[in-house]
Amino acid sequence: MQRTVPSLPLAPSVKVKLINAGFQVASDLIDMRPLQLCKEAGISQEEAVEVLQMLRDDGQPHQQRAATESLTALDLLHQEQALGSIVTFCSALDDALGGGVPVGKTTEICGAPGVGKTQLCMQLAVDVQIPVCFGGLGGKALYIDTEGSFLVQRVVDMAEAVVQHCTLLAEDTEQRQALEELTVEKILSSLFLVRCHDYVELLAEVYLLPDFLSEHPEVRLVVIDSIAFPFRHDFEDLSQRTRLLNGLAQQLIQLATQHSLAVVLTNQMTTRVSNGQSKLVPALGESWGHAATQRLILHWEGLRRLASLYKSPSQMEATIQYQITLQGFRDAPDEPRPTPASSAVSCPSGNHSKRPRMEDLS
Amino acid sequence: MVILREGICPGINEEFIKALQSEDIKTVEDFVSCNPEELAQKCSLSYKALVAVRRVLLAQYTAFPVSGADLYEELLSATAILSTGNPSLDKLLDSGLYTGEITELTGSPGSGKTQVCFSVAVNISHQLKQTVFYIDTKSGMCANRLLQMLQTKTPNMEEQMEALQKIKVFRVFDVFSLLACLQHLRSNDLQKASIGGGSVKALMVDSVSAVLSSMLGGKQNEGMSLLMQVAGELKMIAKDFNIAVLVTNHVTRDGNGHLKAGLGQSWSHVPRTRVLLQRVEDAETSSLRTATLTKSSRQACHLVEEFDLCHWSEEKRTSISGKRKLEERSKP
Repeated sequence: MQRTVPSLPLAPSVKVKLINAGFQVASDLIDMRPLQLCKEAGISQEEAVEVLQMLRDDGQPHQQRAATESLTALDLLHQEQALGSIVTFCSALDDALGGGVPVGKTTEICGAPGVGKTQLCMQLAVDVQIPVCFGGLGGKALYIDTEGSFLVQRVVDMAEAVVQHCTLLAEDTEQRQALEELTVEKILSSLFLVRCHDYVELLAEVYLLPDFLSEHPEVRLVVIDSIAFPFRHDFEDLSQRTRLLNGLAQQLIQLATQHSLAVVLTNQMTTRVSNGQSKLVPALGESWGHAATQRLILHWEGLRRLASLYKSPSQMEATIQYQITLQGFRDAPDEPRPTPASSAVSCPSGNHSKRPRMEDLS
Repeated sequence: MVILREGICPGINEEFIKALQSEDIKTVEDFVSCNPEELAQKCSLSYKALVAVRRVLLAQYTAFPVSGADLYEELLSATAILSTGNPSLDKLLDSGLYTGEITELTGSPGSGKTQVCFSVAVNISHQLKQTVFYIDTKSGMCANRLLQMLQTKTPNMEEQMEALQKIKVFRVFDVFSLLACLQHLRSNDLQKASIGGGSVKALMVDSVSAVLSSMLGGKQNEGMSLLMQVAGELKMIAKDFNIAVLVTNHVTRDGNGHLKAGLGQSWSHVPRTRVLLQRVEDAETSSLRTATLTKSSRQACHLVEEFDLCHWSEEKRTSISGKRKLEERSKP
């Protein structure tokens, strides 16, 4: 593997000195001893040791495989079928998402205040723990709360409803056995909660996640509720904010893929004024829109709550109605289950860039 | 800059190198730019040996000019045009993606960049039966969707599986891994592929801005260098192996609120052709998109074509509900 020195992940000042000393490719460096390198390039001894360490790690199978391993699309298909998804208990939304929130991808949920983002996140944190024999993932969840809107009592209500639902469904002995272990206490004890007060704590938590996930390999869901709150108030330098968010998004996608988990992020809405009209759009800017793999926008239409799938690599756009009940996130009462094709045809405006709010304001 | 080492040329051994180093000559450039007579006196090395080594090094390391006619012949025989699978897009791109060039797709979230990449990959692996390399930086690759698209092209399961096997996916999440991946491809896989059976005709990077945008700006001084290195690798791969490179980029808004492609002015010179994808406002079906040609060396700019994302799943749609069929037929 011929890697050029400028492309190595080293500090820029060290790289400049190495290039000035004439080293062009990694193979020039790999046979040198630290003292020799120190003298030839004019870098300090610690830096020389670091450089050689990095080159040796790079040559190891694990690192090399990460950058150069390729899967054929066929292998990927088998992998995807094995990964599964997390149900939301709203069958219309599950159909629109292709089975539920997908594992291995990041999903962003945007919505105005009070529309149900935190409710959906808490529902997912409970649903990920449904045992495998009932069609769930049987995994644990990590909930990173930045707004302080996590309520344990609500999770208890949802957990009781899920246990009841599974009790009604249990048919064979395997399911009944799994049901004995599925109690509200167990659900609560498999839910890890972290409270972050500002963006520095959030960034630190995401940096520490790989170690946490290696210690707890059963974690299948990471929720960050919300990612917008710490970045929106008190941030003077907007371009720095964009950079930090992009870096954060890439780290989260890397975690989702390497540890096979679903990452769910919550975002807020902001108003954009253009051509004399105002529109509600997701916050955190235009480039943040590219960060998540899937985007779900929750909005009001009169008294109805609607969820629109705005961006997805595999599903068609769809808008469905849902409601929040005592048991949690559920289907809307009157609407019969719409198939994805007809919901795209029959939804009111068919155009998802116009938010219903705009009709109220204009 | 190549360092002088033993064995790069007969006649260079350790004492030779040590003698040169005492005169502060470490690289080939330093050596050939020195006067051999002076060097022979200072280093106490034989003049004949110095001149011989100089001649060999010059022969090994200088670049030779090629005549325009030869270049043109090479271009005619080596360039291929790959169809994207959608006739409106092909019209926009002057019949498709050209090998040896970088084409860029840019657009807002949900505008269809990844879908176009999928359709090109499926078209190349199924129609043209060539291998496609797909570098995925955002975990947007969904093999299910590829299978869906293949199912509209052929009902034969074996053909579908064969086509899926020709698409190779690499997952990298930061710029250094991307560079490692590209350099590895250049030195190993592509050589093997061009000698062996199925040749590689396309490389896709989705998206290049996801890994680069966090490195640019602020007090970081390495961002531009990494951007240019990525650009250099992509261009070398496109030219040396006659591959069509397709990259996707994000959009930002400028001061007046207009959409512009991300990564700035420096990146804008890298791709040969740039296409901007946008949603169509007030459309009855939400899957219509417009593609605008923003940079091209072959056609007039600002050509706009409209196309439907459902084009690649049309037959599947018509089989779901009869209502759909009427709508498809009534569309022009």
